[in-house]
Amino acid sequence: MHIVDGALSNPVVIAGTVLAVGGVAMGLKRLTLERIPATGILSASFFVASLIHVPIGPSSVHLILNGLAGLILGWAAFPALLVGLLLQTVFFGFGGLTVLGVNALNIAGPAVLTWLLFGKLVERSSPTTGAIWAGVGGAFSIAATTGLVAFSLMLTGDAFIPAAKLVFFAHIPVMVIEALLTGTAVYLVRKVRPDLFSAIKGAAL
Amino acid sequence: MIRCIALVLALVALPLPAAAHKVIFAIFKSGVSIEGELGFSNGDMSSGTSIQVLDTQGAKIGEAVTDSDGFFVFTPTEPIAHVFKADMGAGHVAEATMPADEIAEILGVAAIEETVTATAPASATENAAQVTVASLSNEERLAIAEAVRDEMRPLRRELAAYREKNDLQTILGGIGYIFGLFGLYFYIAARRRMAG
Repeated sequence: MHIVDGALSNPVVIAGTVLAVGGVAMGLKRLTLERIPATGILSASFFVASLIHVPIGPSSVHLILNGLAGLILGWAAFPALLVGLLLQTVFFGFGGLTVLGVNALNIAGPAVLTWLLFGKLVERSSPTTGAIWAGVGGAFSIAATTGLVAFSLMLTGDAFIPAAKLVFFAHIPVMVIEALLTGTAVYLVRKVRPDLFSAIKGAAL
Repeated sequence: MIRCIALVLALVALPLPAAAHKVIFAIFKSGVSIEGELGFSNGDMSSGTSIQVLDTQGAKIGEAVTDSDGFFVFTPTEPIAHVFKADMGAGHVAEATMPADEIAEILGVAAIEETVTATAPASATENAAQVTVASLSNEERLAIAEAVRDEMRPLRRELAAYREKNDLQTILGGIGYIFGLFGLYFYIAARRRMAG
């Protein structure tokens, strides 16, 4: 999921960075006092999630958790995931500093999109139905991320369909796991702290 | 239920590469040639990948293909800087450069080896009884270098693997940074609110 330095052409890197800066600005504008602790926690979860390797068959995949971040944070997912990505680059060498903007856009973009599409459904429905929608959102955000990664590679010269297929199919296991994880997390939050969604959202919107 | 089982079976059967691992690409001098390794940080080595060898201007010098262990060998002919580029698809690219002086050293070794092979048959027939022990001959030097390289190879691999390991300190350090950053932002936001 992390595109590395040198894989993309300069215009793609610059365009991605500009869009990511816009997203972060948007996120910071919406990041009120009440939401900062939750944003920090989800940023840390995202940072650690990439280290959780789930063995599937002969290979292993790692979690991303951008759907969960998007559902809880909305636009604030941009700064949260950017910070997580930056530290992953510095500490683990995932991705690269020059492509940070593109990676942030590819991962936080779908998070925000998930929130726009499924956020209302998750909040309004009962905990069980909400958890199902959250699961759908979790899988959707991974699928959208694979699409964006393939799109970034296509803009640099790779053929879109093979690249998209490769990334998409490799991430089907992640989608399933993330769907379950996001669904369970949202269900738990709704049961234990039903005010989390409304409290955070209410202060922001 | 059947769908569920089918899905699980499909997932278990998927022999797909994990697409989000870090690429490991290392090149090192090895006698008359350059050896390199290409793979992912989880230990999957990349087999059958073509490695482009370019000069600093981007003109192609040659090509190498990795074997089943992700290993490749390239023998340089010109004392200029060599840039090795690998593309494993899906955004996994890697690049490594060997500077001109190291290439020159390799070519120096090649020159020694040439003289050894040229003179060896002649000296063997003429002076079979004459043994020099005062200093190491070029042949011996090359043999020792070869032996040391073979001994070093597993060590080098282990070192590369060790460098990729993320230990608990690193992870906790990262989490600490995140909490610190958001704490700082929280402090600034709180100050702003109190001022306003």
